[in-house]
Amino acid sequence: MLNLISAEMFKLKKNKSFWVILFVSLGLSALMHYLIITDWWLISNTPFDAAALSDLNALSMFVIPIYFNLMTGSLAAFYISTEFGTDGVIKNQILSGRQRAAVYLSKFIVYTGGSVAIAVLCPLLTGVLLNILMGNADIFTGENIMFLVRAFLLFTMQFAAFCAIILLLAIMSEDSGKTIILSILLTLVMFAAERFNMGGILNTIYDYSIFQQFNLVFDVSMTAGGIIEALTVGGITIVVVLVLGMFIFDRKEIK
Amino acid sequence: MSDFILRTKQLTKTYKNHHAVDQVELTIRKGDIYGFIGQNGAGKSTMLRLVTGLGFPTDGTMELFGKDADKSLNEAQKRMGAIIESPALFMNMTAHENLEVHRRQKGVPGVSCIEETLKLVELTDTGRKKVKNFSLGMKQRLGLAIALLSDPEFLILDEPTNGLDPIGIVELRELIKKLNRDKGLTVLISSHILGELYQLATTYGIIHEGRLIEELTLRELDEKCSQHLKIKVDDADSAAAVIEAQLSTTNFDVMPDGIINLYGHLEDVREVSKVLTGNGLIIEHLSRNGDSLESYFSKLVGDGRNA
Repeated sequence: MLNLISAEMFKLKKNKSFWVILFVSLGLSALMHYLIITDWWLISNTPFDAAALSDLNALSMFVIPIYFNLMTGSLAAFYISTEFGTDGVIKNQILSGRQRAAVYLSKFIVYTGGSVAIAVLCPLLTGVLLNILMGNADIFTGENIMFLVRAFLLFTMQFAAFCAIILLLAIMSEDSGKTIILSILLTLVMFAAERFNMGGILNTIYDYSIFQQFNLVFDVSMTAGGIIEALTVGGITIVVVLVLGMFIFDRKEIK
Repeated sequence: MSDFILRTKQLTKTYKNHHAVDQVELTIRKGDIYGFIGQNGAGKSTMLRLVTGLGFPTDGTMELFGKDADKSLNEAQKRMGAIIESPALFMNMTAHENLEVHRRQKGVPGVSCIEETLKLVELTDTGRKKVKNFSLGMKQRLGLAIALLSDPEFLILDEPTNGLDPIGIVELRELIKKLNRDKGLTVLISSHILGELYQLATTYGIIHEGRLIEELTLRELDEKCSQHLKIKVDDADSAAAVIEAQLSTTNFDVMPDGIINLYGHLEDVREVSKVLTGNGLIIEHLSRNGDSLESYFSKLVGDGRNA
């Protein structure tokens, strides 16, 4: 397993798309945070406002699925799906004699790690760093730091579950373009379920899904019950989607 | 320990109503170079994908290294190297980096094996050149390097001469022969170039419309192709006596024009020549004659299309 993770890490480091997306995320988050800190841009009524962290309001943009999906969906397309396409390098992985489930799991771990670096760590760390550099370090009180740590840990868990879903789409579609389209469709449907009360099963799915949790985990007054619910929803989603993915991958004919 | 590297029983792969591989019973012994012959769409690549575990059979069983592949495919894969259809390469990486990915995946210790393998396929001078800028032949050689990296016991090559120039083809043939001779590597190789396969393989399997219609050794093939040495000497009767006495064979014909057709001893041309001249006979003509593998294959599958 460690060999496979090491190979995946090597591939990710050599993947141009990963670095492009990472630098885009870095640049975009630095710009957004700068505009917010210098009051060029105003956003209000965010969870960060409620936590007295208005100077981190730009983060509210980066935690919306429609936004971060562009990053993670693109990474899945150009890091995962492409292996099944023209390069066909997935054949070598299967031929390496490793269990297919282990191959799948190693892909999930490294892909999720890369996505977290791009879509979670970049915006968060640039926000914190810019605020410190621009003399706003005093906003980081013990209570606020606790809020950020709790909210982003829970968010990362939901995000990992989201990555598991995108990985599954990438493995099933075997095509970069289809992966991006499917991931956009998924987030659009969930966005619609959130914004418009369409009723029926779609709203029920949304209410008990990681998509609802992406909002709830930033609630300043989150209760212990809420934390347990977030952990349960995220954890169950990761396990269920991973098991499903491994099952499908194990039976997949490699072209 | 089993003498068989691969043995399939009634191996079948069905897509909807089409049998891509139909009840194939194929046997490859340790040390064989097995030439897998068939027309386009005959089922060669599908068969190789089943053997390597990229695809799954609809029916039948398969033994790899003497063990049921259903239970020990992963273990068998660790002892195999393969290129299926085309070399699977990361185009934005160098040759060295491609091998490094595979080394890590397979868990091969130490990085020295990378340089050694690149040297083996003569790709040491590619430096920082990305694979996307490689010629087709270089890509094939890199694919072969990946297959050979973990020092496999069983090498599976699907059309490995695609894109290779004539010199590349000869080099590949010599490399496979060397690995087979020096390391006892067993090879399963499919190729369209039957003349090339004839110079390399020790056993042949001919697949047609998903069915293995014939499996034969090189010797059997030579016999079926009526391969023989055509000899013309100054005294045919004396030559016949010498051949019978010193080569211990009566498997020859003396033709009315004095030409002797000697069946067998195809690999001992030098020995035959030495025996004849050693007995004071003057050789006017000595050549290898008979059907080629191509014509034998065409006769067998019933038409003259290319394999």
